[in-house]
Amino acid sequence: MLRVESVSVRRGRTMTLEDVSLSLEPGRTLAVVGESGAGKSTLIAAVLGFLRPWRGEISWAGAPVRDCAPSLVMQEPRAAFNPTLTLRRSVMEPVAARRPPPLDRMERLCRGLELTHDLLDRRPLEVSIGQAQRLGLLRALIAAPPLVLFDEPLSALDAFTQKRTARLIADLQAEEGFAALIVTHDLGYACAYADDIAVLRSGRIEELTRPKDFIASPRTAYGRKLRDAAVALGAFERAA
Amino acid sequence: MTRGILGLVLRACVVLTGVALATFALLWNAPGDPALAIALARYDTVVPADVIDRVRVEAGLDGGFWAAFKGWVGPLMAGDLGRSSVTGRAVWPELAAAGSYTVPLAVAGLGIGLAISVPLAVIATRAPGGWTDRFAVALASLGAAVPAYWLGLLLILLFAVHLGWLPAMGARTRAHVILPALTLGLGVAASLTRIIRSGILEARGQQFLPALRRRGVSDRAIGRDHVVPHAAIPVVTVFGLELAFLLEGTVMVEVIFGRPGLGSFLVAAIAARDFPKVQAVVLLTALVFVVVNLLVDVVYRLIDPRIGERDA
Amino acid sequence: MRSVIALFGAFVLVAVFGPLVAPHDPSAINVPNRLSSPGAEWFLGTDALGRDILSRLLHGARWSLGLAFLVSVIGLLIGTLAGLAAALGGRLADWLVMRTTDTFLAFPDLVAAVVIAGLLGAGTGSLVLALSVTGWMRYARVARGIGLSLATRGYVLQAKLAGMSPLAIARWHYLPSLLPSLTVVWTGMFARAILGISALGFLGFGVQPPLPEWGTMLLDARIHMLSTPLQMIWPGLAVVVCVLVINLAGDALRDALAERDDPA
Repeated sequence: MLRVESVSVRRGRTMTLEDVSLSLEPGRTLAVVGESGAGKSTLIAAVLGFLRPWRGEISWAGAPVRDCAPSLVMQEPRAAFNPTLTLRRSVMEPVAARRPPPLDRMERLCRGLELTHDLLDRRPLEVSIGQAQRLGLLRALIAAPPLVLFDEPLSALDAFTQKRTARLIADLQAEEGFAALIVTHDLGYACAYADDIAVLRSGRIEELTRPKDFIASPRTAYGRKLRDAAVALGAFERAA
Repeated sequence: MTRGILGLVLRACVVLTGVALATFALLWNAPGDPALAIALARYDTVVPADVIDRVRVEAGLDGGFWAAFKGWVGPLMAGDLGRSSVTGRAVWPELAAAGSYTVPLAVAGLGIGLAISVPLAVIATRAPGGWTDRFAVALASLGAAVPAYWLGLLLILLFAVHLGWLPAMGARTRAHVILPALTLGLGVAASLTRIIRSGILEARGQQFLPALRRRGVSDRAIGRDHVVPHAAIPVVTVFGLELAFLLEGTVMVEVIFGRPGLGSFLVAAIAARDFPKVQAVVLLTALVFVVVNLLVDVVYRLIDPRIGERDA
Repeated sequence: MRSVIALFGAFVLVAVFGPLVAPHDPSAINVPNRLSSPGAEWFLGTDALGRDILSRLLHGARWSLGLAFLVSVIGLLIGTLAGLAAALGGRLADWLVMRTTDTFLAFPDLVAAVVIAGLLGAGTGSLVLALSVTGWMRYARVARGIGLSLATRGYVLQAKLAGMSPLAIARWHYLPSLLPSLTVVWTGMFARAILGISALGFLGFGVQPPLPEWGTMLLDARIHMLSTPLQMIWPGLAVVVCVLVINLAGDALRDALAERDDPA
């Protein structure tokens, strides 16, 4: 399981994360919710080992997170793919060293994600954003990782595709059993799909609860503000 | 701002240390026994081994690289460039004498370059893409492709041999500087024209100009107050680069025209394997280059304080 | 890109087949015919030893263009590796590489090349070494700049997560982005190398006679410049034409890239 133990990250003189503790079991989903600038991207970079925490420990099953070959689904679907290579090459990158390549698994995932082979032979700029996002999911899951991180996986998509993609992620997780860490500003999405939600504000975890409890009664003033804004926008009806 | 400038100065110091080290290492690792070479150059016959050893000690070549480097850098910090290993005379006065020929040549070359390139670029950019513009660009492209030594020889042929208007070889009179300076200046003009031209075009393309024009600011005032300062930035940057061109251009030009100066000094010193002299010239050119570029960087930041740690 | 490939092909043609179509042996000495004017037999005339200038120019292309190509490619390799090391190797590597680059840039190319070639002893080997040592810094700066901007790209992060080796990342994700800009730098450095080789040849520090390098030929011709000025024109003209063509191809490539990146 993923353990983040009182992690602080410092950039220059400012703390971008301060004393953050989280844990995540296989098969479960944790959503970290916060406004832009709250430290969500920093958290992802730290968990993936791209940033060294100033203090604290991050581990998966007692070892560095990178040892479990985690994967990442990015906010900007096309950015995950080198524009000069075919999508097939990029998608197969995580299993490039495997002999033989897991073609059966790929076939199965493609069917689930409604991706055709013709699409895989194109380049990133020749597919739609929604297609690119599903290709990103394919890439993230091809190596059967135990932990998948989602960085704002819906924000580049239109409302219809958002809903479809959120469903898809949930179905895939039910099937594959990976642990999902979702970072998002979309409270509605977080509450609809996560097992736990953590509210991140200025680098600190303000509260960590079940979505049901959070919607019913946020424990902090900030949490209440977030919930009320989401209610006003109709987020909970939309996601459910 | 002050901190940024201090950083630049510190960086220049690091580079200068590297320059000194590289210069010394280059000569230290030159093939052949430098002591033998010096002895041969000095006595010009077969020299016995004990004479070579004496030369080695005299020249400070017997204690290994770092000892020799320290022996060289110590006096250097005090401005002492040492003595010629061949003639035994101090390097500095000879270097200064050579420089007194090179500096006027370089200044004249730069002056000619500016005198040609600035009007040419201004005329060219009146109608970008028009025939004057295309002509200027073609001229600049051609100029960049002509090697200085060949251009020098052509100018000698035309002005000294066929027309007989100007003297070619040596440096006896003031008129002797004209052809070398022209050779140098045409090369400078070629690269400056392109840079000034694109600087002006870029400044004109700035977003705020149409707004100024709508507000009724006259074209002349826009040119004076907005276009010129913007075009000045690339020109200032390039000044440092142009200097390298001038330094190496003068070496060629002095050799072609048989003119005394740093270039001839360097070539003669290499031929004689007179290491202290070679070191002095190389170090001096690098020093000028580093200092001018430091000044350019500082001026650059004063013109546009937004330029910061971008390329630390 | 196509213009550069065409240009490159043209130069390969000249350097490879030039000597084959040369009408005479470039080193055949024919003293009675020395310093003859251009004519039917000696298309561009002969030099002080009666050698055919056209044949020497065509053979000289191998030296002038071939060595310039070698020098510019060596610089490309050193500079790209140095630049990528600076971009990817962390702060210390970056500092070390960039200060080394600054140090090497502080010596004017030609001055440094003259000193290196002069001290190592005139000859082709020291010529190549001198021009390579002074010709890698621009590649390094460009490669570092692009490398730094690529390091934060999504697909590079993904490749790292996928456990690709640094070498594979460099090959598949860095090289395609570096190649166009490095090609533009390369055209400029190729032109500079041609100028540098002929300049050193002219100063007597480069390719040695009797090999027909263009700068060396110019040095020979200079002595007879009063009696047969034409002899001096040809090698210089060859340099000018080559450098001009390369620079124009480089400009075209740069404009094409700028348009591709910024189609406004």
